[in-house]
Amino acid sequence: MPVEPFSLVVSLLQQMCVYLVVAYMLSRTPLFIPLTHVTVRWPHKLACYLIFSVFCIMGTYFGLQIDDSIANTRAIGAVLGGILGGPSVGVSVGLTGGLHRYSLGGMSATACAISTVVEGLIGGLVHRHMVKQGRIGPLFDPVRVGAVTFVAEIMQMLIILAVARPFDAAVHLVQVVAAPMIIANTLGAALFMRILLDRRALIEEQSSAFSAKALKIAARADGVLRSGFNQENSMRVARIIYEETGVGAVAITDREKLLAFIGIGDDHHLPGRPITSPQTLQAISNNQVLYADGNEVAYQCSISPHCRLGASLVIPLVGEDDRVIGAIKLYEPKTKIFSTINRTLGEGIARLLSGQILAGRYERQKALLAQSEIKLLHAQVNPHFLFNALNTISAVIRNDPERARQLVQSLSTFFRKNLKRPSEIATLGDEIEHVSAYLQIELARFTGRLTVDIDVPDELRHARLPAFSLQPVVENAIKHGTSQLLDAGHVRISAARDGDDLLLTVEDNAGLYQEKPAGDGLGMTLVDRRIRNRHGDGYGVTVACEPDVSTRITLRVPLEAVPA
Amino acid sequence: MMTILIVDDEPLAREELRRLLEKEADVQIIGEAANAIEAIGAINRQSPDVVFLDIQMPRVSGLEMLSMLDPERMPRIVFLTAHDEYAVQAFEEHAFDYLLKPADPARLEKTLQHLRRERAPQDVRVLKGAAELRQIPCAGVNRITLMKLEDVEYVVSRPAGVYVVGEDGQERFTELTLHTLQEKSTLFRCHRQHLVNPERIREIRFQDGGLAEILTLGGHTVPVSRRFLSALKERLGIG
Repeated sequence: MPVEPFSLVVSLLQQMCVYLVVAYMLSRTPLFIPLTHVTVRWPHKLACYLIFSVFCIMGTYFGLQIDDSIANTRAIGAVLGGILGGPSVGVSVGLTGGLHRYSLGGMSATACAISTVVEGLIGGLVHRHMVKQGRIGPLFDPVRVGAVTFVAEIMQMLIILAVARPFDAAVHLVQVVAAPMIIANTLGAALFMRILLDRRALIEEQSSAFSAKALKIAARADGVLRSGFNQENSMRVARIIYEETGVGAVAITDREKLLAFIGIGDDHHLPGRPITSPQTLQAISNNQVLYADGNEVAYQCSISPHCRLGASLVIPLVGEDDRVIGAIKLYEPKTKIFSTINRTLGEGIARLLSGQILAGRYERQKALLAQSEIKLLHAQVNPHFLFNALNTISAVIRNDPERARQLVQSLSTFFRKNLKRPSEIATLGDEIEHVSAYLQIELARFTGRLTVDIDVPDELRHARLPAFSLQPVVENAIKHGTSQLLDAGHVRISAARDGDDLLLTVEDNAGLYQEKPAGDGLGMTLVDRRIRNRHGDGYGVTVACEPDVSTRITLRVPLEAVPA
Repeated sequence: MMTILIVDDEPLAREELRRLLEKEADVQIIGEAANAIEAIGAINRQSPDVVFLDIQMPRVSGLEMLSMLDPERMPRIVFLTAHDEYAVQAFEEHAFDYLLKPADPARLEKTLQHLRRERAPQDVRVLKGAAELRQIPCAGVNRITLMKLEDVEYVVSRPAGVYVVGEDGQERFTELTLHTLQEKSTLFRCHRQHLVNPERIREIRFQDGGLAEILTLGGHTVPVSRRFLSALKERLGIG
């Protein structure tokens, strides 16, 4: 049967189309996922071998019978198997496809079997070359794949000429099938790779789900680590990440030990253990993201040789001054590929957690500071004041027991208010009450030498300000002001509204203010700092002193709306 | 009979101590003072045997006040304090009498017994703050001004009292005696009624009859009497 070479080209292309349709259909199944990455792991190689062997044999079946030979698209499977799986996979696929072809018989059976193996080998050699150069990306380039197949097909023709006998028949066969097979296989291999690339793009497209995932993790993990970077909180966060990312396992460490581990291998990755993994230690000491995919970078669990985990991604958690405070680690088992989504997600999560830990530390430090400052103010209750008060009362008892009783009352009010302030914020009314108790004692101590005016409009009594703001200022005015005068001292306490601010003024008639009174003045500094911390630098304590005439201390705080 | 001066800036505290002391037959309270200035004046005028001295007082503390007393006429001191750990520690160390406020009558009784046996003044210079005179308290109308020694140009004694003069030429009254100032400071006696600050001498003009006149940096003149001229020359290294 004489065959028109041109119609043979068209027919073989048609056959190839059917072949590609099958390839396309299969690409929609999870079967193809291992093919979207270059792999060195045996399970993936095996998958690669099986799938391409099927295509290799299919190529033979979709061929056209010419005399007792077959014009076919078998080369596609062999070359792609080699390119994606390396020489071993390529040769195996070639061998399988070749033996299958050999079993069908015909004058070119031997030649075809040999050439298929060689085609697989060519693909494999290209794979090895590119991997050695670290250029894995171009392996997926359809044009290159087409070119390799083109070369492989020419090789096949040469092998047929060299091996098939009688030589005349071989020459004739090559004349007929060379053009269709070279064209169809080259085109077919390129298109097949295109399908694989599309499939891969599809996987990556799932990264639209990525943002959603990231947001969900952020929402669920929000604030957990703020209350402390410890085992319990780390475990909660690790569980959230594990559930949301679907990775094989998640670990969180501090600088020395494992804080949390959840997922595959949790039988031997026990929280509390010191870190043994060299990757983790390296990531922490160099502040560096380390990815051991098990392919390019070997991964082996440092605890158990039987651990099913096959790849890990270590991301350092960074605290103040870029200091590494720990690491977060994502794992996949040997049977699973580390998706690029989870790699990117991992880094994002680490940033999120670092921020949280930092924020938590900052907040706790701030709270501690505020607490210790209040304690300091408590401690500032001058023992000198206490004993002088008792001495005064002791004198008053003789002459005026009722007055003495009132003074004892004032003293206990003063101390009670000092010891028992439920919150850090007080109303101006509270502060005035506190100061009044204090002043009752001072007025008795400095009988005849001290007068005090308090002028606070009722509507401002609900204004809020940090507790213990007023008393230290008044104490200062007396201790370093009026009590240093030989004659009568006068202190005036007044409150006024200035726009949206409350102005609280304590004025004495001594005018002896000094920038740093010997030994103390800490009380006033603390008052100023606490107001500034709370409300910003526009607020705080200002001092106006006219030497030997007056000192006026003004506290400015914002008037906040009082919750009803 | 033991004469006592009570020095405390709190009236009720003075009253309390007075009540406790009045019970004693051999004690006579000769006065009270509410601050260091009053106290220095009262001590200089009345020479009490014992001074009950509060440490914390306006502008000049009890300890500092001690540096302003004439060392040759120093009374016995009983310190009063409400709370001052360091001071109390020093009193213990150097065996000074002291009372903690509010005073315990039994403790006061012990102190008085001790005073009856031992009335000689102690050397207060061992107490920090009481050793060195750094400033001179001057009484204004209603307040004390403290004049630093280096700002003093000269001191003059008049029938009405002792006055300190600074660069501005204004005479400020002080309760400190000329003798105390001469003993406790670097001020130099150049005349029966004058002390001069050697650091503030601009020139000495020699006059007839072994007299001289000092011109200070502030432009004031201070007389030098024959009796003190050679000592002054020696002091200034021009003899």
